[in-house]
Amino acid sequence: MKGEMNSGQRLTPEQRIDAALRAVASATPEAGLQGRILNRLAAERMGANPAPSGLAGLLHRVPRFAGAAVTAVFVCVAGTAIVIGSVDHSRALHRAPVVAPLVPGLSGNGIGTASAVHPVAPVSVPVPASRSSRGRSSRAADRGRARIQRHSHKAAGVAVPAPDENSPK
Amino acid sequence: MSCFEGQLASWIAPARVADLDTSQTTSRTIAQLVAEYSTALYRVAFSVTRNAAEAEDAVQETFLRVLKHEARLVEIRDYRVWLVRIVWNIVLDKKRRAKTRPENEDIAEQTRTLPSGERAADATVISSQEHGRILKLIDQLPAREREAILLSAVQELTTAEIAGALKTTESSIRSRIFRARRELTVLLEKEGIQR
Repeated sequence: MKGEMNSGQRLTPEQRIDAALRAVASATPEAGLQGRILNRLAAERMGANPAPSGLAGLLHRVPRFAGAAVTAVFVCVAGTAIVIGSVDHSRALHRAPVVAPLVPGLSGNGIGTASAVHPVAPVSVPVPASRSSRGRSSRAADRGRARIQRHSHKAAGVAVPAPDENSPK
Repeated sequence: MSCFEGQLASWIAPARVADLDTSQTTSRTIAQLVAEYSTALYRVAFSVTRNAAEAEDAVQETFLRVLKHEARLVEIRDYRVWLVRIVWNIVLDKKRRAKTRPENEDIAEQTRTLPSGERAADATVISSQEHGRILKLIDQLPAREREAILLSAVQELTTAEIAGALKTTESSIRSRIFRARRELTVLLEKEGIQR
């Protein structure tokens, strides 16, 4: 062993390079490399050209463009049907009579959440005036300006008429 | 060879009868290529990968690519150069993806690849270590020089074929090999001084 090492060390760099390259280049594959390659090629070829049967085979035989065309037609028909149905539905909604929702106990002044309902104003029917009494909107004043009695209860800031000389104090 | 032909016969199983002749011809051609060049391609791959399994994978992938482009087989003038170029690209691509050379260049693997001479087992192991060291120095060379010197080691390849595989001229290959050997010598001498 020692002799081998010494002889190895006596080699010139060129010889050592040659020896190393020769070792790499003389690598031998494991036995059966060709068989393994051919097996893999066979597997690849069988995998690349499978012979499907049944429905899969039928689908495989149908040209791709035919399948694509059928799909495109189906998508167009379905899309058209959806659009037409949507438009019809929308029109049907607009044609239906609008019925005002009946909200019992609605206050007439529109205050509160009930005002948000926005009921359609009912058709106003004139109420006949009563013959026995005066109308609620008839004026009680004689003529001219309304007079505010001096001693009547008034809110602060309401102008009070100047005292009349003729009126009793 | 009979087993080989049996595998070939099982491989030739074309799906369409119309393509029977063409398929048989190409399959036979590929089988001949496998028989003729698989070992040389393995050596080319091994010179880069230094790993038996990876080298075999690269060779198999090479023939898979040949199968994929079997229609081009009739256009190929020099199968050897074509195949070497394919396997070379495959191993370089793998190496690039791996980023670094694998550290599994074990001594046993190297020993197995050494030519079986009259050396004692101990001497072979020692040589393997030295070979490993030289191979690491080769890895330090610039890519062009490294590729040229590694391919030049494969005895099946002539300078012209190496030039064809690397898409350059013969003179360029010769100068690259010369430069590579000179740099390696310098590196080895430096290493010898350091030791």
